[in-house]
Amino acid sequence: MAAYTLRKFAQMIVTLFGVVTLVFFAIRLIPGDAAAAMAGDNLSGEAMEAFRAKHGLNDPMLVQFVRYLGKLLQLDLGTTITTSLPVAGLLLKALPVTLTIAVCTVVLTMLIAIPLGTLAAYMANKGKKTLDNLLTWSAMVVDLMPSFWTALLLMLLFSLTLGIFPASGQVSFGDPALLMKRLAMPIIVLSLTQVATLARITRTSVLEVLNEDYVRTARSLGMPELAVVFRHALRNALLPIVTVVGLSFGNLLNGTVIVEFIFSIPGIGTLLVNGINSRDYELVQNLILFYAMVFIVINFLTDLVYKKFDPRVRL
Amino acid sequence: MKGRWLGRRRRRKVLLLAALIIPLALSACGGSSGSGGASGGGSSGSPAAGNAGGSGDGAGSVLRVRFYDDPAGFDPANVFRIENENIAFNIFSGLTTYDSETGAIIPDLAESWETPDNKVWTFRLRKGVQWQKGYGEFTARDVLYSYNRILDPATASPYATEFANVESIEAPDDYTVVIRLKEPDGNFPHVVANYHQGQIVKKEVVEKYGDQFKWNPVGTGPYELESIDPNSQITLKRHEGYFRGPAPIERIVFSIIKDEATAMIALQNGEVDLVMRSSRQENLDRLEAEGFRMNHVNNYAVSLRVFNLEHPILKEKKVRQAWAHAVDFEAISAAVSPKLQTPWHSMLMDWMDVYTDDVPKYEYNPEKAKQLLAEAGYPNGFTILQLNTSATGVTDQMQLEQEYLRAVGINMEFELVDTPTYNNRRNAGEFEVAGRLLPAVNPDMILFSYLHPDNKSPGGLNGARYDNPEVTAKLGAARAETDPQKRLALYHEVQRIVMDELPYLPTFASNVYWPSKPNVEGVVINKLAQVNFFGVRFVD
Repeated sequence: MAAYTLRKFAQMIVTLFGVVTLVFFAIRLIPGDAAAAMAGDNLSGEAMEAFRAKHGLNDPMLVQFVRYLGKLLQLDLGTTITTSLPVAGLLLKALPVTLTIAVCTVVLTMLIAIPLGTLAAYMANKGKKTLDNLLTWSAMVVDLMPSFWTALLLMLLFSLTLGIFPASGQVSFGDPALLMKRLAMPIIVLSLTQVATLARITRTSVLEVLNEDYVRTARSLGMPELAVVFRHALRNALLPIVTVVGLSFGNLLNGTVIVEFIFSIPGIGTLLVNGINSRDYELVQNLILFYAMVFIVINFLTDLVYKKFDPRVRL
Repeated sequence: MKGRWLGRRRRRKVLLLAALIIPLALSACGGSSGSGGASGGGSSGSPAAGNAGGSGDGAGSVLRVRFYDDPAGFDPANVFRIENENIAFNIFSGLTTYDSETGAIIPDLAESWETPDNKVWTFRLRKGVQWQKGYGEFTARDVLYSYNRILDPATASPYATEFANVESIEAPDDYTVVIRLKEPDGNFPHVVANYHQGQIVKKEVVEKYGDQFKWNPVGTGPYELESIDPNSQITLKRHEGYFRGPAPIERIVFSIIKDEATAMIALQNGEVDLVMRSSRQENLDRLEAEGFRMNHVNNYAVSLRVFNLEHPILKEKKVRQAWAHAVDFEAISAAVSPKLQTPWHSMLMDWMDVYTDDVPKYEYNPEKAKQLLAEAGYPNGFTILQLNTSATGVTDQMQLEQEYLRAVGINMEFELVDTPTYNNRRNAGEFEVAGRLLPAVNPDMILFSYLHPDNKSPGGLNGARYDNPEVTAKLGAARAETDPQKRLALYHEVQRIVMDELPYLPTFASNVYWPSKPNVEGVVINKLAQVNFFGVRFVD
């Protein structure tokens, strides 16, 4: 275990360096820089040059790269170019919001999708295709509904017609009740897009094990059918489910930009998109670095969970 | 067959089960989301519903405003984007400012000013003006500090070029500022208005906060910054010691809502009182029908088609005139967004003092367009590339323009790039045809930027690379002219020449809408599309 962790850690350093290098040069390859992004309609070339000189954007790329690495080694994420705000501060502020949404979404998704998928498998196994078909169809429909559209429908229903959830407003951790009210709609939208997929995967995976010998043994021992399905079959079918949940959690941490935009949620996705649009190199390269770390950690945790569910897995 | 019937009964059971599970799971995660009343209050779409902190006058009143992008700081030396400029406009003051209704220059921190020759300008300052947050009385020293700070290369202010014509700034006493120019400029009071470089800052505050000054601004305007969360909201508090008296509304909370549809729902739902800029025709129609107040300014700025005159085809004047005759801008605006834009025929707006209507105009006439193309040597038309930003994409207007051009043989193709790339290439002049909208109150600034050879791209806004010695001479002469009639005549001649030569083709004049609840009054959008919140109040 210790050796495994150490090996993983070494791999992580190499991966992170790769990511840092790649991102550093990739974002500078896109035409236009922070000065051009700020220029808008009415800035002259001279003014832009002054801005570039002030922020060291005219230095040779290698010099900038070494300067960046040096700062990273001191764990200094720097300040944004356009707004002079500390990147670490922005990240720490956006992270709890995104994290809350991601955790709630994953929990909600699992609470709905796993029982639903297992039930579907159970039905399918008994030759009753009804719920199975229903799932397939709803998965298709929900999967094809763009999240911005679902979001607006929810807003019309919950904000305008029922008046339960606000469509805008501050996201503050000071008042948990208000916070959840504010985050409820984004969580529902994000869950909707995940439930369908996860339920399908649960169904397939449970169905596969339902005809295994040990399931038959459990049945022959006289266990109630639902207990057999949920306790024995589901448990052994969990590996692919864990993989999907882990990946979707990673995606939720990174890529909820559209939902954040519509519900005015000051999360990490918004931060990144703003960074790219304003060519704020400092912000973008450090955020991507953070993303890379998130995926590495999630992969690591997924491996650990694998081992827990399936002792045969060697780490 | 029998099995299918049984199956249907079971299906019902399953649905019931699902119906039970889903709300359960929802409440498990949603936490308290189901309980308690709505914070916004309004469950109906009626504009009067749900006004938590709104109505009433004087103390305790809060105006909630939709802000449409992330704030980028409010330091006048480098403030950019109109929504940030609007906040700075309310925090700071200039020596002069703009009348919100007419765009005319009126006194602000300076009570009066005079010049014998458009070259030496003497400003007499208002006495007893107080800085926000207890920074004492405003004096001429603050003006000197502010302007020198803009001119200091270390500030790297993009607006330093606005002061390029300044030779010296002096303060003979605490309430007088004398500015000497290198070349005479009759429009100089525009340069010291409450906008960008003209806004007066306090030395002690700038030095205290350094590069964080943009988040800790202190000015002499009607509102001061109370708190800011750069990702979600900005709160302004009225400046009790404002020299025109305290503003009617005590607090303004700007809530960042980027999505247009969400902003509309927030207004309908009573979560905000006022929407800063709503730019979708269908939303505006709906809000108007529901009885919201449609605050707006017409013709605040004109969108220009910029022709690259170094292009072998576009350098022909007749080609550009053919373009103007080929497109029915009137029909396009009527079809797409009658509220948001009006077809326009000049580089200047009709509310500017030097504007003239007496210029060559190009009515929709495809036959004439074809004839002009033939005379220019392109009877079969040509293909041309228009540079655009992917932020707006290919709009309905652009598609219609494309169709009109195709009808006379001009094949216009679009090249879409993202905004920074677009700005980069547009400023460098790397395009065949592009667009530009320059919001400004000073007509001279518009004409100089677009038409003077010193401002040719790259380095300036003259993206057409227009260089007509006659126009250049007249622009210089107009600045120096002290006789109002002669000055007007010069500007009129310039407008006539450029509308004949057409290096830039005016397309639409833009209108800006800030819809509000009916109980919000005094939202006057000025010619820079900004609102002075000093005039905004609640009514019953």
